Amino acid sequence: MEIVHVSDVHELTPEDQKFCEATKAWFKIDFVPKMSRVLLTVPEFGRPYGRASRRAMSDGALSRGQKELIASIVSAINVCEY
Amino acid sequence: MAGVTHALNTVADGLRLPLEFSTSSRHPVAPLLDPPTDDREMQVLLDDIRGFYAVEHVPAVFRWMARDRGFLQSYWEATREAFTDHTLDRLTKEILAFAASMTAKSDYGVDFHLREAHRLGLTDQGLTEAVEVVQLFNTVTKIADTLGLQPDFPARPRGPSLG
Repeated sequence: MEIVHVSDVHELTPEDQKFCEATKAWFKIDFVPKMSRVLLTVPEFGRPYGRASRRAMSDGALSRGQKELIASIVSAINVCEY
Repeated sequence: MAGVTHALNTVADGLRLPLEFSTSSRHPVAPLLDPPTDDREMQVLLDDIRGFYAVEHVPAVFRWMARDRGFLQSYWEATREAFTDHTLDRLTKEILAFAASMTAKSDYGVDFHLREAHRLGLTDQGLTEAVEVVQLFNTVTKIADTLGLQPDFPARPRGPSLG
């Protein structure tokens, strides 16, 4: 059960709403993931965390696909349903 | 691959088997026996393991399993298959095994799979990127669990059987 209120996008600042639009484009989905919205509940944390994520998950020496696989295996080992 | 990695790490760390490639003060909690030299099938099996990993000595976790040749034979066959090039290449699988080991805090697994990944071509930049992703997703999985976040995607109907 979720123990926090997960903000709707319209509750966020215009700057953060813009970031959410970029997130949808990044994942090619038509909604903003809860994690993105939760992180932006504390913008001083969520904004730099989002920038770090975008930087780390981009193609580099490892492809974005390989990085998503790493993310999946970390989630599996941590038994994280989300 | 994730399951085999986790299980081998569990055995190796649980028995405190010495690390393969890094200096370690670990001592096994039970003796690591030398496999019988007059067992031809065992020698073929051990040669295959050494060849697969390009090592001089059979890794301790497999030496442990050599106490029971039948078990080692079958488990090694499964392990080899899991780490062989298929849709995912072997390097990617070793990077994933390294990430799984790091997340599970397995000293044996981190040491073993990092060496394998390097041997198969992982660069220092690649290692940096892999660790960044491990760090990011150890952050968000913890946040998600703490807050009880439910998945964004609804449960999907059962897919085709893996068998």
